[in-house]
Amino acid sequence: MDLNPPPGENYAHPKICFFHVFFKAAALAFYILSALFISNFVIIFVVTVLLAALDFWVVKNVSGRILVGLRWWNEINEDGESVWRFECLDQESLARMNKKDSWLFWWTLYLTAVVWVVFAIFSLIRLQADYLLVVGVCLTLSIANIIGFTKCRKDAKKQLQAFATQTIASRFTSSIQSAFTAV
Amino acid sequence: MSNSDTVPLHPSSQSDIDEIENLINSYPSSVLPARPPSPPRIPVSSTPPPPPSFIPSNLPPPSVPKPTPVFSPAPSVPAAPLPPIPPPRGSATSSSSIAGSGFGPAPNTLTEPVWDTIKRDLSRIVSNLKLVVFPNPFREDPGKALRDWDLWGPFFFIVFLGLVLSWSASVKKSEVFAVAFALLAAGAVILTLNVLLLGGQIIFFQSLSLLGYCLFPLDVGALICMLVGNVIIKLVVVAVTLAWSSWAAYPFMSTAVNPRRKALALYPVLLMYVSVGFLVIAID
Repeated sequence: MDLNPPPGENYAHPKICFFHVFFKAAALAFYILSALFISNFVIIFVVTVLLAALDFWVVKNVSGRILVGLRWWNEINEDGESVWRFECLDQESLARMNKKDSWLFWWTLYLTAVVWVVFAIFSLIRLQADYLLVVGVCLTLSIANIIGFTKCRKDAKKQLQAFATQTIASRFTSSIQSAFTAV
Repeated sequence: MSNSDTVPLHPSSQSDIDEIENLINSYPSSVLPARPPSPPRIPVSSTPPPPPSFIPSNLPPPSVPKPTPVFSPAPSVPAAPLPPIPPPRGSATSSSSIAGSGFGPAPNTLTEPVWDTIKRDLSRIVSNLKLVVFPNPFREDPGKALRDWDLWGPFFFIVFLGLVLSWSASVKKSEVFAVAFALLAAGAVILTLNVLLLGGQIIFFQSLSLLGYCLFPLDVGALICMLVGNVIIKLVVVAVTLAWSSWAAYPFMSTAVNPRRKALALYPVLLMYVSVGFLVIAID
């Protein structure tokens, strides 16, 4: 992953990208600014955690699907066991995904987690247990999404590899076949 | 497999598609079958496909028989419905009709699925609430009770209870809220761990979800207590809602463990609800 957005194309889904970034930025901004302006911790807690939870929902259900074509969820099957499901688009659609969209998606995902970690360290140093609680909740929500989508992506890569090897293998066998028929 | 049924999103991806198409087209006999014109959407499991659920902070517990992630053909997402087409490639899946918009349908369905997702999640909260708090034929079976667990409901109920307690308190409002939230959240986690350590067969998040939903009667009780000043009425209201909460949580918890250990699993739950009840009464 590079630091600059890929050149050339524009964002394919600008509204989704906006919302993807909006809730994250709003949660962070509210957390930072509220410490300066609002003395009531309850409001800070509720609003920040609410924004973080909304961001979690948006990333998981909307922008993950649309920007990078990945989805993950948990279901309980007939035997009463919980199964985690990771899902991705087929390869052609994945290849069509806008590169800028996915660059934005992944970068903001990782960046917000890093920023929350920094805030956690700050509140640890200042021994503010209640702010640590807020940061802890937001951080765990971010990390849950990161883990889910990274797992999806790894499986998507495995699928791509399988596709590639299958194509190469079939090409190989076909060329051998044609070699034998030509003889 | 022609270009007529696929519309590339961007010119830059056209070359990729051409490459893949050439590969596929040159070897008709032994290669992958035709690309579907629209994403395949067949639910494989016999249960209705559960929509994505709100997952909390902890890492997913490896309690599954198949630890590797499972690829499944996507359940039909409530959007502009496309006719289901048999998936020619078992491993390839697609997630939504929006993804299928790369193949043709207009992106004005972009807002629709979001609304549908929201509505679906909201209706799931309501149905979970009804399942847990009101009489329900399945509540004896921990496997079936609260199959479609979600954590949005518990989140709202815990925050609401914390807010009500905080409003009722005349001093130290922030601390009351923080303590109430931490107590309820940590309490739910610890209660679940308690059952798991007693050898009970429950699923972590399902139990968290259930304990959160069982807070609903106490929420109602706390709200009433905030509005009513008389101590006797408060006592009665809290006693009633406490009994209701415990009654809601009892079947699930008790059937999850060995019958000899039932009391061990249930006592902490009752203790937590009783202490929340005391908090509601004592707040002034």
